[in-house]
Amino acid sequence: MTPVIEVRDLYYSYEDGAQALSGINLTVGTGETVALLGANGSGKTTLLLHLNGLLTGRGTVLIGGVPLTPSSAQRLRAKVGVVFQDSDDQLFLPTVLEDVAFGPLNQGHPPAEALRRARAALLSTGLAGIDDRAPYHLSAGEKRRVALAGVLAMEPDILILDEPTTYLDPPAQRNLARLLLALPQPKLIATHDVRFAAAVAHRAVFLAAGKIAAQGTVEDLAKQYDWDWASFSPRP
Amino acid sequence: MRHHRIAGWSLLDSPLHRRDARAKLLATLLFLLALALAPQSSALAAVPFALVLLAALFFARLPLLPLLLRSASVLPFSIVFALIEWASGHGPHGGALLAKSYVSALAVLLLAASTPMPSLLHAMESLGVPRAFVLIAQSLFRYLFVIAEVAQRMRLASLCRGGTSPLRPSAGFRASAGSLAVLFARSQQRAHGIHMAMLSRGFHGSLPLAVRPRFRPSDAGFLAAACALGAALYLSVTLR
Repeated sequence: MTPVIEVRDLYYSYEDGAQALSGINLTVGTGETVALLGANGSGKTTLLLHLNGLLTGRGTVLIGGVPLTPSSAQRLRAKVGVVFQDSDDQLFLPTVLEDVAFGPLNQGHPPAEALRRARAALLSTGLAGIDDRAPYHLSAGEKRRVALAGVLAMEPDILILDEPTTYLDPPAQRNLARLLLALPQPKLIATHDVRFAAAVAHRAVFLAAGKIAAQGTVEDLAKQYDWDWASFSPRP
Repeated sequence: MRHHRIAGWSLLDSPLHRRDARAKLLATLLFLLALALAPQSSALAAVPFALVLLAALFFARLPLLPLLLRSASVLPFSIVFALIEWASGHGPHGGALLAKSYVSALAVLLLAASTPMPSLLHAMESLGVPRAFVLIAQSLFRYLFVIAEVAQRMRLASLCRGGTSPLRPSAGFRASAGSLAVLFARSQQRAHGIHMAMLSRGFHGSLPLAVRPRFRPSDAGFLAAACALGAALYLSVTLR
């Protein structure tokens, strides 16, 4: 399996000195979906932000074999689509269609092509017919799908999703899982939702205190770290 | 979250809402120019202008009272200058200043309430306003929502625990000042998140346009009518 994301000895500390990542080594291959599990504050989001150059730590990040550097970041961002944890952060233009077309326009596509891509992405996420609505008037689930459409419209080679099931009800989570399974791109998905991770990911990586503590199947890691409800005694 | 009402009004449908933003922007500028050039001798000079705006509000199907009240937000500033005029023996000038500033604010609000902000920004850009300025205005507009949302969340959090809105002066100076600092810090954090999300979708300092609006003959007709009306208003108050 050809690696599409390679992270080697990645270290990152925030300005206040807090060590967020400590020697991360991670590879994601073509067609592979990897779940990134770990507690709040374990460094999941920080790691994801390194994968399209929004944060720059010490170490090496290769995207499709190309080193991610300040000079290559702009070009590589077109290849790595990031869906953020808070959809409200991602949606900032006044209409859904304009917001989804924002990425393709930045990639240099002419307006007609950008709009075609945007409409196709909205259709693929089940959001046809809301082109002219204001993103901030949508439900949380719709916002999440618009945010995903905004990334899919860029036709990225790799998808990065940060807590994609947040705010989604179970049917919406299942729809998202179906959508992700149908997308051919390799994916790295940070999530706390073990059932969702098991449904979409081939394998999982468990992050603890900025380090990769374990790798394996989602089910094995969930058992190892007591990360699901199996050990919970139900109400008497 | 409750969002800015003007943004909601701008998405309504009316003959005025359907006009091209460039035509409306130019018409508003002409209106303001005619108002500014009108004689300063009396507040009555602003009356015909106000009547035109009231008619436009009616045709735009906009709520009259909220817009009239919001336009009053300009008065604290203009009252200061009106008082200076009055103290220097030019009382009627002060009255005219107050009336003109109020009518100007109403005209700008009418434009904002009948034109979605992105269309307005596109119009500014196509009329030659520097792109940097348009970009700043666009960011300011987005971040105003951010600050409003954060403030609303803080207010709800306080109300849920039996408090009052922490940003109100009634909460006490110390509490209000502290809450303002928190509001600033949270808004800054949120704005940083938005900026990161923009960068991740290839943002490099300019906002490309997806849809270029068409300037229809009806828009040209609207603009011509606005020019004629502006001239008529100016002449009616000048030749009186």
